[in-house]
Amino acid sequence: MTAKERYLRPVHLLFVVLLVIVAVPGKNTDEYALWLVGTAAVIEAVTLAASALFKKKQSLQLFTDIVGFLYVFLSLWTLATVKTGLLKRTLFPPFGTIIHQFYEDRAKIIVNIGASLSIIAQGFFLALIVAIPLGLVIASNARAGNAASYITKFFSSIPPIVYIPYGIALLPTLHSCSVMVVFLASFWPVFAATMSGVMGVDKKILDSARVLSLSRLSMLFEIYLPAALPQIFLGVNQGLSVSFILLTSAEMIGAQDGMGYYVKNYSDFGDYTRTIVGLLVIGFVVIAVTFAVGKVQKALLKWK
Amino acid sequence: MKGDDDMKIEIKDLTVDYTEKNSRFTALENVSFGVNEGEFVSIVGSSGCGKSTLLSVLEGIYKAASGTVNIDGKPVSGTGTNRGVVFQHYSLFPWMTTRANIAFGIRQVRHDLSRRQRLELADEYLKKVGLEGYGNKYPSQLSGGMQQRAAIARALAMDTDILLMDEPFSALDPKNRKDLQDLLLKLWEGEEKNGRKKTVVFVTHDIDEAILLSDRIVVMSHHPGTVAEVLSVPFDRDHRRTDSRDERSYRSFRDKIMNVFWAQVYNGIGGQEVVI
Repeated sequence: MTAKERYLRPVHLLFVVLLVIVAVPGKNTDEYALWLVGTAAVIEAVTLAASALFKKKQSLQLFTDIVGFLYVFLSLWTLATVKTGLLKRTLFPPFGTIIHQFYEDRAKIIVNIGASLSIIAQGFFLALIVAIPLGLVIASNARAGNAASYITKFFSSIPPIVYIPYGIALLPTLHSCSVMVVFLASFWPVFAATMSGVMGVDKKILDSARVLSLSRLSMLFEIYLPAALPQIFLGVNQGLSVSFILLTSAEMIGAQDGMGYYVKNYSDFGDYTRTIVGLLVIGFVVIAVTFAVGKVQKALLKWK
Repeated sequence: MKGDDDMKIEIKDLTVDYTEKNSRFTALENVSFGVNEGEFVSIVGSSGCGKSTLLSVLEGIYKAASGTVNIDGKPVSGTGTNRGVVFQHYSLFPWMTTRANIAFGIRQVRHDLSRRQRLELADEYLKKVGLEGYGNKYPSQLSGGMQQRAAIARALAMDTDILLMDEPFSALDPKNRKDLQDLLLKLWEGEEKNGRKKTVVFVTHDIDEAILLSDRIVVMSHHPGTVAEVLSVPFDRDHRRTDSRDERSYRSFRDKIMNVFWAQVYNGIGGQEVVI
């Protein structure tokens, strides 16, 4: 890429437009306007670093386009709130205020993210540990696999959130109930995907494995498991996204911590700045987890 | 022909049935022939004659409905590590590198070797088949010809007495096919076990390939699949390629096999008129 292709991009114009919009006097004022300017400056610095470092033109273009959208969004938000007063301040706080609130609450937010992620991790890994070996064992027998896939269809059609009241009665703590909900949300998709992966293994691959006279254990974990892994990851991704939906819902019902609790609690007090902070943080957390799982998937399936 | 004690593989009155959509088919009926130790035997026949099924019985994947299949005088009762197998597709596991694929095969027969020794042995065989430096590639990163080279490397690295090959070169282009045929012959002639060559059973629908490679050719007929004729190849191995063979005697031998083919096709349609 030439220097022109690297640094001469419309995104920088949008950055300047945002600064101008923030600078011009408007109907209201944002006492934390500098927080918005500072954040935009950090984003701009990251964009410039990316412009210098990215190797592929397409990736750089995609990256700067996304940042461009972000600048446009921040510009429009600032126009609609601070500059014209089109949107009510209580429900639509200026963006600088939102960013400042995020900074102020950072310790609380980290604690709540930690609480949410720890439940997700416990329920989710428990589901993987149970669902994958069970799916392998059952589906490696065609007859058992066929029957089990029908039973799975039934159970996976029950939205796991309806288990919550029963879970509260059954389990000693709300924490364990949340873990159970996440477990159920991930278990069925992963179990179903493992079975469909195992039953879909190419017969030619199985023949190649059989002529090597592998032991049953080796057949399960060295042939069926890797062969079914692409399918298993479909279930893993599905289970993970359902887990987040259910966990945040559960946290809004009765928990004392977690990101769902954070959002619900502050919106109950009419603190919509913090409500928006909570929404955005949940978005970032889910993106980060999805990205991490995507990396693991790519590493494990690099043979595809 | 050698004596009976040299008989490595012995098939007698083999019949194989299979069920598909509630109807029973006879894939093989009363198949009998033997393969001597160190012999290269090809099985040829049109598609659907059961030649691959026959090989599956030798691999131990298919069960005989009746008849006997003996290897070293003992009945075959399932798969075994005394037989190395090369298929047309997917001999290699796509999630393992070529080196890991070969080492995986070695692990099944050589429990005494450490992981490191197995990988070293795998590299040795990769070199033998001309894939030096490709050990860390996944099968999907290799061409079809390279994949078959690696599959042969694994079968050879397992150092089995018997090599079973099910149309291993059928999906390759002519250039690659020729190269691999030459490589297979070179390796088969060079690779000895206890002073004897490996016993090879090679399934193909390519008559020229069968003539080029084999000591003897088993010609099969179909409906139901059975042995129509067993022929010894009357040419020296160095005089079988177009540039070195006596074209007239080659033609007449090739026609002999073709005639067996056509005769059974004619019988198969019951002498009725057909439009092709």
